[in-house]
Amino acid sequence: MTSSSHYDESREAWEADRNKTKQRFPERKSSFKTSSDIEIDPLYTPEDKSDDYAEHLGFPGQYPFTRGIQPTMYRSKYWTMRQYAGFGSAEETNRRFRYLLDQGQTGLSVAFDLPTQIGYDSDDPMAEGEVGKVGVAIDSLQDMEQLFHEIPLDKVSTSMTINAPASILLAMYIAVGEKQGVAMEKLTGTIQNDILKEYIARGTYIYPPKPSMRLITDIFGFCQQHVPKFNTISISGYHIREAGSTAVQEVAFTLANGMAYVDAAIESGLEVDHFAPRLAFFFNAHNQFFEEVAKFRAARRIWAKIMKEHYHAENPKSWKLRFHTQTGGSTLTAQQPDNNIVRVTLQALAAVMGGTQSLHTNSRDEALALPTEESARVALRTQQIIANESGVADTIDPMGGSYYVESLTDRIEEEVNDYLEKIDQLGGAVQAVEDGYMQREIHHTAYETQKDIEAGEEIIVGLNQYKVEEEINPDLLRVDEELEAEQIEQTRQVRETRDQTRTDECLEALKTAAKQNKTNLMPYILEAVKSYATVGEIANILRNEFGEYTEM
Amino acid sequence: MKQIRVLIAKPGLDGHDRGALIIAQALRDHGMEVIYTGLRQSPNQIAQAAIQEDVDVIGLSSLSGAHKSLFPKVVDALKAQQAEDIPVVAGGVIPPEDVPYLEERGITKIFTSGSSTEAIAHYIKQLIDKDREPVTKPKKIAHIGIAVHSIEQALPFYKDVVGLDLSVVEDVESEQVKVAFLKIGESNIELLEPLSDGSPIQAFLTKRGEGIHHIAFEVDDIHNRLAQYKELGVPLINEAPKSGAHQSEIAFLHPKAAHGVLYELCQPADKE
Repeated sequence: MTSSSHYDESREAWEADRNKTKQRFPERKSSFKTSSDIEIDPLYTPEDKSDDYAEHLGFPGQYPFTRGIQPTMYRSKYWTMRQYAGFGSAEETNRRFRYLLDQGQTGLSVAFDLPTQIGYDSDDPMAEGEVGKVGVAIDSLQDMEQLFHEIPLDKVSTSMTINAPASILLAMYIAVGEKQGVAMEKLTGTIQNDILKEYIARGTYIYPPKPSMRLITDIFGFCQQHVPKFNTISISGYHIREAGSTAVQEVAFTLANGMAYVDAAIESGLEVDHFAPRLAFFFNAHNQFFEEVAKFRAARRIWAKIMKEHYHAENPKSWKLRFHTQTGGSTLTAQQPDNNIVRVTLQALAAVMGGTQSLHTNSRDEALALPTEESARVALRTQQIIANESGVADTIDPMGGSYYVESLTDRIEEEVNDYLEKIDQLGGAVQAVEDGYMQREIHHTAYETQKDIEAGEEIIVGLNQYKVEEEINPDLLRVDEELEAEQIEQTRQVRETRDQTRTDECLEALKTAAKQNKTNLMPYILEAVKSYATVGEIANILRNEFGEYTEM
Repeated sequence: MKQIRVLIAKPGLDGHDRGALIIAQALRDHGMEVIYTGLRQSPNQIAQAAIQEDVDVIGLSSLSGAHKSLFPKVVDALKAQQAEDIPVVAGGVIPPEDVPYLEERGITKIFTSGSSTEAIAHYIKQLIDKDREPVTKPKKIAHIGIAVHSIEQALPFYKDVVGLDLSVVEDVESEQVKVAFLKIGESNIELLEPLSDGSPIQAFLTKRGEGIHHIAFEVDDIHNRLAQYKELGVPLINEAPKSGAHQSEIAFLHPKAAHGVLYELCQPADKE
């Protein structure tokens, strides 16, 4: 079909023409490459497209899901617009949540402060200076009640960026639902619960990998029975990419981690088709538009094949890679911050073209501080404009069939599979993480990127080219410095007014359960949070039993 | 010179270590000995590590917004152990309006988002080695180089119309170029004619036609100066001097270093 003589003649003529023109107008660079070092040809043609449509692409909602996981995609319903927010006190964050819901946001996404994420109460000496800074401070169930005050949990889906103490915060969410009269069977949302990438890239680990994997599979087991609509994990490439990886590394390390969770769950006695449909993913959307679109499409296809062919999952829901996307924070510049709106738009567009299920768009001022309300609104409006005005959501997988994008999708799949093989040879993702393999690969890429930027080989507008003299002083969001003291006082009051005997009993029961490997800890943690035991108290019980992880 | 020892530390709970790791690697590439503490260090732990490791400088990194409370505590911890002579520099996501406060609290220098590793490495070298020679001015403009197709055809304009005196014509084999110098005040006009198709001047003529090719600064410390520029991260075409006309030593800076102008450093032979 591509070998007609007319085609060949035209192609030869073009090549001759091109070589001639190149003499007079040399190409801008000696070679063109994607972030993953994939060589980009000057032109893609039918020769670059694989022939087997059904096997490679299929139809939307059909294996291997290259074109999307639902039969209708955005023609039925746009992606969920889910802006990650949280700062200061639960009360303040609750106000921001209700503002975002009023502005048309369709799901909540909670950012917790670092002490909460690492299992310290606000009055722990380790928490000093960090309370309420990068997210909301949650110590006890009381804070969680304030966070969702007047937000009916049967009406919103909530995503929580929480990993090492994921079971504690999930338990608190369940307890808040119960108080509102919403049964846990009805709760929808996602917990990040992805510890492996914490060791690799994000840093909010508490316990060593093994007991951490147990906590994760305990959540899988508990939710499968009691919280069936909740996504029990969001396997995250986002932070891997932010730490400096390439697009290929992002997908490869994320899927390798995904396989480690599947292995752990199977080993703990769960049936793959029972938990796999609740696995969700979380990717980054970076600057190189076509590579990003191809990345999302390739990730879907690879995961489908892994689940079907490697794990022999039979439920089609187990094959579907559902993912959330956030635009790339590390691509934002502190210089000329308004330029970031444009970057975010392009990145968001790539995520939509890639078929994301939900999306967070970063705010223009995030290279400087947490976003102000106004910046957060522009970020949300960016998604709304893409959805309602650009027309890109009106047909499914509009990039499908592009010679270039299909070729890149195939190429990314190949390179990811090479990495997966390598990680398998190293003994799987958990072992590779413990050996620091992924950390080293990412650091190497990050350093090379930095050198390219400093040498001016990679151009960042406003940073190393097109600079202006500017006074960088936009209105920034400041977290009230008084907050830490107020939060500490509030937690002190909770400890004073709770039924201490009950709390002690709950914590003691948790301690005993933790010693028995086969016992699911979720019910014990749920009882403990209901007795107003704090995040720090529960995490400390487990620290004593499991130990703490330290970097090499 | 003794190797500079640096402690790179992440105070507080922040897990973003991409920047810290890149800085650590870049400083190592600049010949420094770098000790990285890893995540979650308290101000006291950092001060102790700095003293134990006998470092010359501490670099702190925080992206979590805790810098205002944590950075000064590191300075205080150093003071408490009579080690306030160890300077503390810092970086991360730090709003510009926090910089004066941090400096007042004893942080020597804050590098905000977008700082280059070269600049940071250079700053640290200057900070530690205060006796380092300062950057000095070149002595004068030695000549302005003008690319021409033919010196023979260009000379009448310069000699008869402008009225300059021709001082010398010679071939510079290493550059495949024939040069003519016309003296003007303390400086010269240098006409450059390619000797072959491989000459850089021929490439220039093909791409841009005749016109100003470069400006040469006269210096008397070309080796040191190149080393200094290199350290500052200035892109150089020649990292070491080569021989130019009249047995001078010359080296070119990359035009991207100087907003599109090609500069030559030129050190005349045997200055009397």
